[in-house]
Amino acid sequence: QTNDAAMLVADEVLIAGEDQLIARGNVEALYQGSRLTATRITYDRDTDTLQLDGPVRLTDPQGNLLLADSGSLDSTFENGLLRGARMVLDEQLQLASVEARRVDGRYTQLARVAVTSCQVCGANQVPLWQIRASRIVHDEEEKQLYFDNAQFRILDVPVFYAPRLRLPDPTLKRAAGILIPSIRSSTLLGFGIKVPYFIPIGDHQDVTLTPYLSPVTRTLEARYRRAFRNGDLTVNAAVTSDTLDEGPRRGYLFAEGAFDLGRDYKLSFDIEMTSDDAYLNDYDYASKDRLDSELTITRTKAKRYFEIGITHYQSLVDGEDNATQPTILADAIYEQRLFPAALGGELRMGLTAHGHFRYSDDDIIGRDINRLNADLSWRRRWTLPGGVRAGVLGQLWGDAFSISQDSTSDNNVAQLTPAAAVELRWPLIRTAANGARDVIEPIVQFGWAGGDRPNIPNDESTRVEFDEGNLLALSRFPAADRRERGYSTVYGLRWMRDNPSGWSAGLTLGRVTRDEADDAFSRSSGLGGTESDWLVAGHFATRSGLNVTARGLLDGDARFSKAAARAGWTNSRLDLGASYVLLVTDAAEDRPEALSEWSFDGSYRFNQYWTGLADWRYDLASSNLAKAGLGVNYTNECVEVGFSVSRKFASSSNLEPSTDFGLTVALKGFSTGGSAKDYRRSCGG
Amino acid sequence: QGANVAFGASRDSSGPVEVTADNLSVNQSDGTALYTGNVVIGQGDMRLAAPRVLVVFAEDNSKIERLEATGGVTLVSGEDAAEAERADYDIDGGTIDMAGNVLLTQGPSAVTSERMRVDLDAGTAQMSGRVKTILQNGDQ
Amino acid sequence: CGFTPAYGPSGGASALQGQVRLDAPGGRASYLLNQRLEERLGHAPTGRYALSYALKTGRDDLGTTSEGVTSRYHLSGSATWSLTDTDERVVASGKVDSFSSYSPTGSTVATRASQRDATARLMIILADQLVDQLLLQASDLPA
Repeated sequence: QTNDAAMLVADEVLIAGEDQLIARGNVEALYQGSRLTATRITYDRDTDTLQLDGPVRLTDPQGNLLLADSGSLDSTFENGLLRGARMVLDEQLQLASVEARRVDGRYTQLARVAVTSCQVCGANQVPLWQIRASRIVHDEEEKQLYFDNAQFRILDVPVFYAPRLRLPDPTLKRAAGILIPSIRSSTLLGFGIKVPYFIPIGDHQDVTLTPYLSPVTRTLEARYRRAFRNGDLTVNAAVTSDTLDEGPRRGYLFAEGAFDLGRDYKLSFDIEMTSDDAYLNDYDYASKDRLDSELTITRTKAKRYFEIGITHYQSLVDGEDNATQPTILADAIYEQRLFPAALGGELRMGLTAHGHFRYSDDDIIGRDINRLNADLSWRRRWTLPGGVRAGVLGQLWGDAFSISQDSTSDNNVAQLTPAAAVELRWPLIRTAANGARDVIEPIVQFGWAGGDRPNIPNDESTRVEFDEGNLLALSRFPAADRRERGYSTVYGLRWMRDNPSGWSAGLTLGRVTRDEADDAFSRSSGLGGTESDWLVAGHFATRSGLNVTARGLLDGDARFSKAAARAGWTNSRLDLGASYVLLVTDAAEDRPEALSEWSFDGSYRFNQYWTGLADWRYDLASSNLAKAGLGVNYTNECVEVGFSVSRKFASSSNLEPSTDFGLTVALKGFSTGGSAKDYRRSCGG
Repeated sequence: QGANVAFGASRDSSGPVEVTADNLSVNQSDGTALYTGNVVIGQGDMRLAAPRVLVVFAEDNSKIERLEATGGVTLVSGEDAAEAERADYDIDGGTIDMAGNVLLTQGPSAVTSERMRVDLDAGTAQMSGRVKTILQNGDQ
Repeated sequence: CGFTPAYGPSGGASALQGQVRLDAPGGRASYLLNQRLEERLGHAPTGRYALSYALKTGRDDLGTTSEGVTSRYHLSGSATWSLTDTDERVVASGKVDSFSSYSPTGSTVATRASQRDATARLMIILADQLVDQLLLQASDLPA
C-alpha cells in the first residue's frame, strides 16, 4: 500500500541512471501529512535520501514549520541534516540555527540557535527578546524544548544565563511547568516574587503551587481544580510564616464547588476559613469583611422555586464580636405559582422556614430566633376602557416566631396578617415627528395591611431601602420580622423616551403616604413619617455605549437623604465605570457620620499595544483618597508586560495603609505565555 | 559515476526494426505505411505495441525515418515499461516522445506525467507536466 | 398633545397582553424577573411571541470606611432582550440596565436579608423597564 511511502510531485522529473531521479519545478514531497517543498529534489533510491536544493520548506501535521537553505532527508523525512535551518512552531515561535538535524521524525536538534517570537523586520533589526543557545532539541512527541547554555537577551543585551533550560512548545496545552512569574512589593511585605508551578493531574484535575518569598514572608499558595462530569470544584489556600507577629503559622482556605444533581436540582457549597482576621487583607487574597461558609440546594422551575441551605459566618472586622453575631443560619424556601382558569389571575403560595443562632447566651445580645412564614396571594389585572390598567391584589401572611434568650420579647408569637391593594396605571404613548417615542405612565395604588406589630425584636429588617423595585410593594421590609401595616397610598409617574438618533432616557417619581408613621423605618430609609421622601430615579443610555443610572430620596426640604449613581461607558477603546453614593448620618444604621464617596475605575487602550488602567475611591465627607491604583499594560506579538501600583489608605487595629507594586512579564510563544498569533505585525508599512 | 542505462538495457538504436500487425496499407505518394490491429514493433529487446502505427520512410525509401503510434501505446525495454496515449519514435534521433497519461514503471517504483522523452542513446527519461512518483526505496 | 393610551385601540400594547411566552428560568434571579414579567404581561406559555433575554448581574463594593470596611454595595443588572414572532423573526429588541443598593453594616442576618431583597427589587426594576420598552415598540408589531 503506497501510503507508507513518500510521494513526489514536480513539473519535471529526469530519471538518470538506475537509482537517480531529479525533480525540478514546484517540487513537493508528501509523506503522512508532512509536506516538503524545494526548488530541486534529487532522490537516490539506493541510499533512500532526498538531496534538497534551494529554499527548503517542511511542514508537519501539527503545523510546525522547518525552513532551510539546503540539506538532505530520508524519504520519510525522519532523519537528515538541514543547513541554515529556521523552525517556526505554531506560527509563533521562531528558532533560527546554523544547522538542524532531524532524528527519527521526533527530535529536531538545532545547533547555534536564536529563539524569539518577536517580529524581526530586515536583517539588522534586533528582536525585543531572544534566547540564544548552543544547542536546542525539540521533542515533537513531548512538545518540549530543551536548551543547552541558554542566554536570555533583551534587545541583544544578555540578561540571564542558564546552563540547562526546558520550556514547553506553544502547542502544548496542559504541561507541568513554570507559569508567568510576578514581582510584588508592598510596604507590609516588602519586595517579593511569586513563581507559580502548574501540575496537571490527568485531563480533569490540576494543582498550581506558588511559592511567594520576600524579606518578610515565606508563603506557599496552592490552587487545586477538578472538573467532574456534572460539576466542578476549586480550592484556593495558602500557608505562611512571616514576621508580622500575628502568630507562627498563618493561612487561609477557600473551597467552592457547584454540582448539577439532575432534575434541575443544583448543589453549591463554599468554605471560607482563615487563621487570623488580618491575613486576607495583608496578603491581598480577598477583600472580605465576613467569611461565609455555605451549603445550598436549589431547584428552579417555571412555576416553582425551592431552596434549602445552611450558612456559617465569621466576622473579620474588629469591633464585631462573633459571639453576638448570628453565626449559624438555616433557611428553606418553597414558592409555587398557579393560574386557576376559573378564577383567572395568579395564585401564589410561599413557605419560608428560617433559624439563626448566636453562640452567646447573654440576654438580648445573644438571642436566637426561629420563624416559619407562609404567604398566600391572589392577583389579577384588567384593561379598563380608555386603556387604564387596573390590578387587584389580595394577600395573607401567616407568621410564627420562637425567640429565645431575649427577655424584652415574647417567646412564641403567631399571627395572621391580611393585606390588599388596588393599583391603577394609565400608560400613554406618543410618536413625535422625528420618530422619538415617549411613554408616560401615571400610577396610583391604594393599599391596606391589617394586624398590629407583635412584640418581637427586629433582627433582620434593620436596613430598609426604597427604590422603584419596592415603590408598589405591600411591605418594604426585607424580612418577615417586620411588616408594614395600616392604609397607604402610593402615587408615581414613569416616563421613558427612545430617540432614533441613538439615546434613550427614563424618569420615575414616586411617593408613599400612610395613615400612621412606622417607627421601624430609619431616617435614611426615606420611608419614615406619614409622607415618604420623594423617590427620584432616572437613567440615560446611548447606543455608543454610555449608560448612566441615578437615584435619590428627596426629603421634606428638598435635600437628598440618600443618593446613588452608577455610570458605565464601554466602547472599543474605553471601559470606564464610575459610582457615587451619599448616605446621611443615621444612628439606627450605625452610621455616625455621613458617607459620601465617589469611585472610578477605567481602562483606556491608547493604541494596539499600550493600555492604561486607573481606579480610585475618593471620600467626599472627609475629603481624602480611600484607595487609588494605576496600571499600564504593554502587549505585542511576543511579550506582555503588566505594571501596577495601588495604595489603600484604610487603617485600623488590624489593617495598615499599604502600597503594592506589581510587575508581570510574559514571553509569548511558549504555551504558558499566551498566544502571539493575535498580534501579528507585518514588516515595513 | 557513469550513467548506466536508465531505460531499457544495452540498446542499439540503429538495429533492424521488425513490424507485425493484422493489416497494412501503404501510401506510395507520401511514402508512409499504416499498420493497424495489434501492431508490435521490435528493435533489439525493445517492444512497442499499439493498435495503430504510422510508419514514415526516409526520402529515398531506404529506411524508416519515424514511427507514430497512437490509440494507447505500451513500450517495454528490459525490465522497464512505459504506457501513454501516443508515442513518436524518431529513429535517427534515437528518441521516443510519449504524451498523454504517461506511466513509467521501473522495478518497484512508478512515475506518472503528461509527457516523457526517452533518450535511447543517453539512456535517460525526461518526464514533464504534473510528474508524480512514489519513492519506493530499494527492493522494499 | 399627541399622546394615546398604550392599551387603547391604536396603542398596540393589547396585542402583547397574554401573548408573550418566556424561557424557563435558570435560577432565583431569572425566576423573579419572569414572575414580574408575567404579572405585567400575563402568563402565556403558548403565546404568539417568545421573549428571551440574557441576564447579567454584578456587584460593586463602595463606601470604604476609614477602617477599610465596605459599607455599601451596588447590585448591577442588565438584560439584552429580543421578542420573536411565530416565524422566528425578531419583531422587537432592546437592553435594560439598572442597579439596586443595600448596606452590609447590619448583623449577618440583616445583611443577608437586605442582599436578597436587593436582588428581588433589581429584577422588578429590570422587568418594568423591559415592559416600558415593549410598550414603546408595541405599535410596530406586525398584524
